[in-house]
Amino acid sequence: MAALANEYVKRRYALAEARRAYELLKTEDEEKIVEIARKFGWRIRFSNEKIGLMKFDFALNFIDYLRNTRAFHEKGWKLVNRPVLGGEVHLSKQEVARLLQEEIQRYIEAKIDPKVKSRLPEEILKRMERLKQVYSERIKESPLEDFSSTGIINEAFPPCIRQLYEAARSGRHISHVGRFTLTSFLLHIGMKPDAIIDLFRKSSDFNERMTRYQIEHIAGERGSGTRYTPPKCDTLQTHGLCPGMDNLCKRVRHPLTYYLRKTRSMKRKKIDESKNENR
Amino acid sequence: MKIDNQSFIREKFSEFYNKNANRIEIPKSIESREFGFTLFREKIMVRHKGFMRAEDLREFIRKTVPSNVYYSAAYYSLPEAKMEEKGWLGSDLFFDIDADHIPTKCNKEHDVWICRKCGLRGKGPAPSKCPNCGNESFEEKTWPCEICLEAARVEAIKLIDMLTGDLGFSIKDIKCSFSGHRGYHVQVDNEEVLKLDSIARKEIVDYVTGTGIDAVFHGLEEISSGRAKMLMGPNLNEPGWRGRAAKGTYEFLLTASAKDLRKLGLRRKVIEEIIANRDIILESWKTSGPWNLIKGLGLEGWRKIINRGVELQSAKIDTVVTVDIHRLIRLPGTLHGKTGLLKISFPANEIESFDPLKESVALKGEEAKIYVEEAPKFRLGEEVFGPFKNQTVTLPISAAIFLLCKNAGRVVN
Repeated sequence: MAALANEYVKRRYALAEARRAYELLKTEDEEKIVEIARKFGWRIRFSNEKIGLMKFDFALNFIDYLRNTRAFHEKGWKLVNRPVLGGEVHLSKQEVARLLQEEIQRYIEAKIDPKVKSRLPEEILKRMERLKQVYSERIKESPLEDFSSTGIINEAFPPCIRQLYEAARSGRHISHVGRFTLTSFLLHIGMKPDAIIDLFRKSSDFNERMTRYQIEHIAGERGSGTRYTPPKCDTLQTHGLCPGMDNLCKRVRHPLTYYLRKTRSMKRKKIDESKNENR
Repeated sequence: MKIDNQSFIREKFSEFYNKNANRIEIPKSIESREFGFTLFREKIMVRHKGFMRAEDLREFIRKTVPSNVYYSAAYYSLPEAKMEEKGWLGSDLFFDIDADHIPTKCNKEHDVWICRKCGLRGKGPAPSKCPNCGNESFEEKTWPCEICLEAARVEAIKLIDMLTGDLGFSIKDIKCSFSGHRGYHVQVDNEEVLKLDSIARKEIVDYVTGTGIDAVFHGLEEISSGRAKMLMGPNLNEPGWRGRAAKGTYEFLLTASAKDLRKLGLRRKVIEEIIANRDIILESWKTSGPWNLIKGLGLEGWRKIINRGVELQSAKIDTVVTVDIHRLIRLPGTLHGKTGLLKISFPANEIESFDPLKESVALKGEEAKIYVEEAPKFRLGEEVFGPFKNQTVTLPISAAIFLLCKNAGRVVN
């Protein structure tokens, strides 16, 4: 496993092992679970507490909780939707098992050391090569979404971007996060920096040199060279930039995904319409 | 010789730092912090400065007399390096409460906007469009008023309550400060929080602001037995957001007008029921709550009402500040360039009684004569000044500098 030195395979393997652990942990008794969790440094205790109508088995330090819920998207896992008291999050046994799965996955990933390769016998190295082939046949690297061919279709902007775009066009004040979101979004769908500079021109505190610098920074042409992507829906909500969701919003987690889907469905509609006309 | 405002203010700041350099608070692990300064002449921020010792920082401030002094909430291995080479080691957990983010009872009548196109002036927050020329960009002058600061204090109290009660931090680990302008800073000084990444901090922000909360996770549910359906909901004495959601709902229904309820999208019949039964609703909290009292109001309707209650209970913080793990924060014990008031720290348990407009008055010395164009009534320390309009007045130095920093007048020789 380690010798394959492939991030994807490594993650899949760790995930499978961690899932197996989860299935086993769900039925373990409470003391055992506390013991295992403490091995990972968790501050956890068996609480057996009733809050409202619900009974909770465990209380876990909220920082340990946050460390293991970062990949979760369900509303119910958000800290704000949990009973939290005195720095502890109250959880059922199954929930603790699910959080341990995350911890175990990270643990296994960290344990797989790619340096092991040099010490392996010939026979195993051969098998490894075959596995690598199997992998590359199965997983065709999905190409990065290319927006440039679509052109810029304002009608396909998600509500958040539409609002920011309108604000920029009329020179209204936009917060720093708002500017960042709008700029990185427009760059991603292929708008040229010069066009974006023009968009901000009406802004009351417009400064061409500064605006250009910031846009080029976001485009990855300056500084660290990172090309920034716009924040995901969740983050926009935190900063009060989500003006409320429409139906498509409810099915996506990122403004760029919204745009991509919307442009696609608009294209399909167009094709359908032209077919109808031809009839 | 005619002296301009900037030089006058700078001179007073300089006097202050010469006499009171010891008031400048030195942050923990000064050698790992980045410092930033704005200067009086140049309109730029000097960043990426580092200091090995407290004396060096104090000496630097005395010599350069910055208009604002900031330090990083973050700790770095190389605080003077470029952003991507600094080597982030951790960051304090910060909350910024600013009157700008809170709707207040004064309606910000003291704030002034000026249309950048036609020059029309008005009071309160700027409109979205100039009523005269339709332009949409304005110059805005804000003002630290007593009512605004009181509103900010209430938010800070809610926040501190959540940090201690829910998140379990000791009150001793929570430091508060008045920013010297329109709000409060709340900092958690605790080893545990240093390594939290932006994602974890965002979850904490969502927690204290009630973002993404759904009442169905806090006790709101429909129980059916046979053909009978019954609603259950959170209770006032319950812990965490459960109790808070109930308190907010109680508070909202105590005074909610038909208009407030219409805004939630409730039906007319339901609204009438709620208003007609207000007393019974309030009484019901002593037992199992109002969840089954209003005919035609089901789980979805209550969900909206509870959400409104959550808004009342949430702490209105500047979300960006807390999530940003590279943030520069005004240094306590230094003067605010927009007011000449001192950013001053105090223990969290004094938040109820702290008087920001008294404790932050720092400039002392002779009175000064200034010409004031326009200023609303304001208080500093025990004294109340103004309102002023196009007049020359002699004021204590702190009040004079305050008005000059606010650009409300000019020095008279």
